[in-house]
Amino acid sequence: MAEARAISGKDLRDMFVAATGWLEKSAADVDALNVFPVPDGDTGTNMLLTMRSSIEESYQAANSASGVARAIAKGALIGARGNSGVILSQIWNGMAQGLDEKDTMTGADLVTALLKASKTAYNGLSNPVEGTILTVIREAAEAAEKHAAEVSNDLISVMEATVDAARESVANTPTLLPVLKECGVVDAGGQGLYTILEGALHYLKGETEQLELRRPWMVASSIPLTTKVPQMVGAMDEVPYGYCTNFVIKGAEIDPDKLRKRLEKRGESVIVIGDDSAVRVHIHTLDPGEIMHYVNPLGTLHQINIRNMDEQYRDFLEMQKERMPGVDTAIVAVVAGEGLSQVFTSLGATIIVPGGQTMNPSTKDLLQAVEAVPSEKVIILPNNKNIVLTAEQVPSLTGKKINVVPTKTIPQGVAALLAFDYEADLETNAVSMYQAHSEVRSIEVTRAVRATRLGGLDIKKRQAIGFLDGDLVAVADKVDEVLNQALERVNPDEAEVVTIYYGADTKLAEAEQVAAAVRERYPQLQVEVVQGGQPHYNYIASVE
Amino acid sequence: MTVKIITDSLGDIPPEAVQELGITVIPINVIFGRINYRDGVDLTTEQFYDKLASSKIFPTTIVPSLGRYADAYDKVAEETGDILVITNSHRLSASYETALLAKERMNKKCRVEVVDSLSTILAQGLIVMAAARAARDGARLDKVLELTRHNIPRAHTRMAFDTLEYLRRGGRIGKARTFLGTVLKISPILGIRNGEVYPFAREHSRARAIEYLYEFADGFTRIDGIGVEDATTPDEADELTQRLQSRFPDVTIYRAKVSPGVGVHVGPRVLGVAVLGDRD
Repeated sequence: MAEARAISGKDLRDMFVAATGWLEKSAADVDALNVFPVPDGDTGTNMLLTMRSSIEESYQAANSASGVARAIAKGALIGARGNSGVILSQIWNGMAQGLDEKDTMTGADLVTALLKASKTAYNGLSNPVEGTILTVIREAAEAAEKHAAEVSNDLISVMEATVDAARESVANTPTLLPVLKECGVVDAGGQGLYTILEGALHYLKGETEQLELRRPWMVASSIPLTTKVPQMVGAMDEVPYGYCTNFVIKGAEIDPDKLRKRLEKRGESVIVIGDDSAVRVHIHTLDPGEIMHYVNPLGTLHQINIRNMDEQYRDFLEMQKERMPGVDTAIVAVVAGEGLSQVFTSLGATIIVPGGQTMNPSTKDLLQAVEAVPSEKVIILPNNKNIVLTAEQVPSLTGKKINVVPTKTIPQGVAALLAFDYEADLETNAVSMYQAHSEVRSIEVTRAVRATRLGGLDIKKRQAIGFLDGDLVAVADKVDEVLNQALERVNPDEAEVVTIYYGADTKLAEAEQVAAAVRERYPQLQVEVVQGGQPHYNYIASVE
Repeated sequence: MTVKIITDSLGDIPPEAVQELGITVIPINVIFGRINYRDGVDLTTEQFYDKLASSKIFPTTIVPSLGRYADAYDKVAEETGDILVITNSHRLSASYETALLAKERMNKKCRVEVVDSLSTILAQGLIVMAAARAARDGARLDKVLELTRHNIPRAHTRMAFDTLEYLRRGGRIGKARTFLGTVLKISPILGIRNGEVYPFAREHSRARAIEYLYEFADGFTRIDGIGVEDATTPDEADELTQRLQSRFPDVTIYRAKVSPGVGVHVGPRVLGVAVLGDRD
């Protein structure tokens, strides 16, 4: 192992790409861990989305290490999602400062970058809490520093020490944060950061096979589960809601620290991050107008997003009372895409929680929906295998009676919803909806994000791939070919109805052609084409 | 003295049974624009659906006047002193109220009992036919009344719809409005519960909807009568009747057409099954 090995900016970018891919594999697992600061189950996804924004930006950058690092920090700032994403963007911001003016990155540079990252992460928060991603970056950076000083400052060697320390730190988070201990989980953000660092290490060691074929380990808590999940966790007590206000200020000579201090007097859950030219602000306030007025002179405002958490709730209740008279069991469905949302609403779903394959809603989102419906009995349809677990957290967090029908696909959700009986009680409905969801076959057609080998099939990047009930069964260049291959697997001669939901990126004419081809091949089938508008999937089809 | 039974035309009782059991049927008015047709008298089901398809005017229904009901009572009172009037659900039409008020308007002296079937189509029809049969067999009015009250909660119906548009326009949709506006092509299965239209199930194809109707009847443990009726799809109804007859060889299955008075509200392609019986 060469001492003081250095990597170029391009390598640094590829390292981040690999790390993001590694995180992607376990984002859902990370989501499932999330209990702090709110049990919202989207930490992994939020970190992943933040990383993707970084990667995108990094391709715009010059090929020096400092240029790439700056771009990664900038991408994270603009694309940051959720608490964990915001803190992550702070970490990359610090890293970029640490790599300032570096053409390449050595082991010693990594140490500097990590130390700076740790410091910056703490500085971004008005109230840093230990036992979180903060502790993990700090302990990892300290270990890296120690290792470089006492053992070796080789890049890979330093990174190994960093990853080992991060893993230990993650395992230890429950001893620092009681809420984790109560739930028997490690900190989700910490786990996410560890996974990113581990992915980076795999890349540096040239372990491409590991990256492709393995999945990240989920760190187990260093202390066993002692008590049951509490009724409600942490910041959920923070009612009334007020306005959740988010925006980016672009300007010159903004002082984030000063701004944070000022804003802390004007609201709660304040996060201010960024540099003197662009700052992201997140604040819960009773008067968003005052906040806007206050920050307006600092620069131009972008990505303004204000949600009235009280009013949304009240309006929603009113609307639901009008819409669903006399129905005592409400249905909460997770659906992405306007068309599909309409399908579910028109079939009687009480509330739609936006989400799906690329956007998993949090437990908190589901919990809020459950609390918002004017019924004491609620059935949840997750409609995605990555959301089932999140949904199953909800029953223990609410006083309402909840049944999760574990629908893993949109067609299963539709089938379950069709079986909903207004006359029946919650348990009876749960049983018949469960029965119905298992009687439909689901086909999902999308394009491969990257080349891979899966289920015995070689897949090239951008090739169309088809899943039948979640299993990869078809690969071809054209989406209609894949749909046909998947359909053949179902034995369509015994089916009656095929419903094809076409996605946001697919045109109606194209979908009609596909449907016509299916009708021609299987004349006895009733084929229906419905605008789904779903992201990610060109087609989702149900076969009954 | 033989008890005589009067009902309105919304019970869809086959003409042969009306004849055989001596039931008096008061026709509901079906109105296309300015033209008033008496349900089943001036207008058959086939004629009605032809008109519905060709006419731009959306038809409505109106219950006959008090006078018509009273006239019918007086006419029947020439033969008997005991009349039982079994009406369409008060939640679906004004037949029950009119029938009650008409008692005061009749000229002849006669005992008239008015009962709300809380039902419609052949579910109402089966209640009426059971009463008429008991009356024909010599049961006294109190006995027939008791039987009818016993039967009302035992009459069940399910109808497979192609569209709920007619039900919506006619204002009879009730809780089935939750089934409105579906993006998917589905076959809603509606029935009557507590006297009003109730959404029971949704099937994703016509074949499945028909299967639902079969299984609905199949679920009864004791059956006094079954009715099968269609609006515009007699072949489907005939096939379903045959299947049910093989399943229940000893049960009388009445095969009827949806009357124009009902057709105004349910539209074409409705297929219905009614069962008088018990499920446990």
